Amino acid sequence: MSDFVQIETIEPVGRRAVIRGIAAALMAVGTLDLDAAQHVHESTGAEKAKGTYKVKAFEPAEFKTLERLAEIIVPKDATSGSARDAGAPEFIDTLAGQNETLANIFHGGLAWVDAEMRKRHQTTFVDAQPPQQIAMLDALVAAERDEALRRSEELVYERSARYKDFSGYTVRRAGDLGPGVFFFDWVRKMTVDAFYTSPIGVKDLNYIGNRAYSKYTVPQEAMDYAMKRSPFA
Amino acid sequence: MAQNPSTQDIYDAVIVGSGAGGGTAVQVLIDKGLRVALLEAGPMLDVQTEFKEHKWPSDYDHRGAEDGGAAYFGKGKPFGFFSTTSGGWQLDGEPYTVGEGSQFQWFRSRILGGRTNHYGRMSFRFAEYDFKPYDRDGLGTNWPISYQDIAPYYDKAEEFIGICGTQENVASCPDGKFLPAPPPKVHEALIKKASDKLGIICIANRRAVITKPLNGRAACHYCGQCGRGCQTASAYSSSQVQVFPAMKTGRLKVFDLAMVREVLTDGNGKATGILYIDKRTRTEKVIRAKTVVLAASACESTRILMNSRSKEFPNGIGGGSGLLGRYLMDTVGFGLSGYVPAMEGMPHYDTDGNGGAHMFMPWWLWDKHNTLDFPRGYHIEIGGGYGMPGVGSYHGAARRYGYGAEMKKNIRDGYGASIGFAGRGEMIPNEHSYSELDPTVVDRWGIPVLRFHFKWSDHEWRQARHMEKTFAEIITTMGGRVSGLSAAQREADGISVPGTIIHEVGGARMGSSAKNSVLNGYCQTHDVKNLFVMDGASFVSNPDKNPTLTINALAWRASDFMFEEMRKGNV
Repeated sequence: MSDFVQIETIEPVGRRAVIRGIAAALMAVGTLDLDAAQHVHESTGAEKAKGTYKVKAFEPAEFKTLERLAEIIVPKDATSGSARDAGAPEFIDTLAGQNETLANIFHGGLAWVDAEMRKRHQTTFVDAQPPQQIAMLDALVAAERDEALRRSEELVYERSARYKDFSGYTVRRAGDLGPGVFFFDWVRKMTVDAFYTSPIGVKDLNYIGNRAYSKYTVPQEAMDYAMKRSPFA
Repeated sequence: MAQNPSTQDIYDAVIVGSGAGGGTAVQVLIDKGLRVALLEAGPMLDVQTEFKEHKWPSDYDHRGAEDGGAAYFGKGKPFGFFSTTSGGWQLDGEPYTVGEGSQFQWFRSRILGGRTNHYGRMSFRFAEYDFKPYDRDGLGTNWPISYQDIAPYYDKAEEFIGICGTQENVASCPDGKFLPAPPPKVHEALIKKASDKLGIICIANRRAVITKPLNGRAACHYCGQCGRGCQTASAYSSSQVQVFPAMKTGRLKVFDLAMVREVLTDGNGKATGILYIDKRTRTEKVIRAKTVVLAASACESTRILMNSRSKEFPNGIGGGSGLLGRYLMDTVGFGLSGYVPAMEGMPHYDTDGNGGAHMFMPWWLWDKHNTLDFPRGYHIEIGGGYGMPGVGSYHGAARRYGYGAEMKKNIRDGYGASIGFAGRGEMIPNEHSYSELDPTVVDRWGIPVLRFHFKWSDHEWRQARHMEKTFAEIITTMGGRVSGLSAAQREADGISVPGTIIHEVGGARMGSSAKNSVLNGYCQTHDVKNLFVMDGASFVSNPDKNPTLTINALAWRASDFMFEEMRKGNV
């Protein structure tokens, strides 16, 4: 399936007809053959026509940084392509183009990333050496973990407050790296979302549902595999 | 201004609300040949545009995060973009308030069919003992009806709606009229093994999903997307299964975007119709009818009764009992997830199934309360499998693993190896949990709003701790490990926020007299004989069984009774 690109949703009448088709097929015989089911599956998940993506919310340098981050956060491996291949930068740009608050989180965060890299190696994030890029993200992840640990300790301390609303919990940020931790969480979660919701990501995980069957069965092979490895073997 | 009633039709019945209760009342009363007006505060349902069944996240450029990434800011649709929830915890212009020191969240669906378009479809009968709780442990109040009174209506509701399940002879969860149940998925088979070892009953789930064609509805096609709304109506919704067919008779008139303010009475103990605000024109309108059925949801019906003030009923209809709004209940909820290495690397298969778990655990200690430190019980719902990847699915994993090739591999290897348990338990009704009219706030239609007060007692907290201990035991018995929070953190955050299980019931409970209740055992108000309340407001207790099937059965029984009373000239 194609990379994530400017979307043209499936023509809705076509999809409705398909769904009506299943309903009719099911009504008629009470069952549905797998061909019809696959037709639905493929029509609704149809590939989008690939076009040239026009960046809306970011400067070219910012977009390049998003592309590099996407490659590092979900890299290409033997199983599948990277989050860049899956259209993560375009996904972030699309939403940021619709939401100034989100755009500013990324403008500010990307600027912080470059400023931090200049402090470390007198260059921008994109122009730094890959090991330098990795070292910086590792520092952010380490700071994030320290912070999570501290937060969980505080949470335990507060446990008697049964009705406390933890969503309003103030997290003390991780010193000088605080803004980077905050931004990295944003770029990571949106990159991961873009990857796993793309056709590439769905295939990487090997999700094989969203289909229609006349009967539901569980493969014996899967059952045996888990039972053999369980304490009930 | 209200229209002149003499220019209007007089319906045999006006029904307020089109969910499980209203839909059932429509079905039964239309079947009997009555002319019925149905009012819904939301718009008409268009299944084709509203239900996103079979769509992929990649069919949308926001992938399900919604425009501008609203979901990332907590402003997306409740239960996600793909869910067919048409409403939420807060509705623009239709507020509610919460008393100091309380927490309560009220979910309202504003669309034809209401919450039945997306609910979990768990369909359990109350047990015989559930109707006489006071007799068992001296807590709460007995219902004025028994299991034998409602059993024939459970039969009718199950046969009409279509429930899949198996005959098991478990006292806490009586058997019904079931269609065949789908087989257990792998994680469910493992959970059953663990449950067997721990003495916990684990049986086929009972859900309002048809596994054989029924009344012109196609059997389930196992896409697992009931929460998005079911295009083929294989999963029950009152809109598709009850209201749409009734519309074809020509005897049902549906008024959508109709926000009911009050029941009108004639000063002599008789209802003459209802007054509503037409949301399209913001004008007051009246519908006259021989009988009035409120089925607007437990709290909304309570609110209408409270707002139905007159010289005859200065505190609203049913207000003289002192019980209107009282003994509001939700279900006790607690959830825990775990990771099961035995399923790592398992050959993938389609786990979507019939949209929910194929197995569940009914309350298994119904006769062992002397060994427990809390009354009543809970059942356990199961989660797990290879779910469709969506926005937010891997945020937790990403934080855990950082980023990069290792994160990617860990997410891939762990996919489908997690399970979850949700406890759904019975709350004891208490004095501190009720609704009343807010003295100063009205909604945008000028209607006084509800103010909620709610407190869990130690009964509920102890029950939630029992759930936690049990779920952890099941997980470890499977060779798994509990995920996420530490034990102490779970305790801190260890019970659902009141209202959030969306099983809110009570407020106009039934009972033997106007002194101890608002309704009689047929959901008829003691005050006004031609006024019925056919939703969860009538509940005297809130057993661990999800309330919808019992709302269906009570509404069916009440509709039969109402029709007979009309025929005899009593109402």
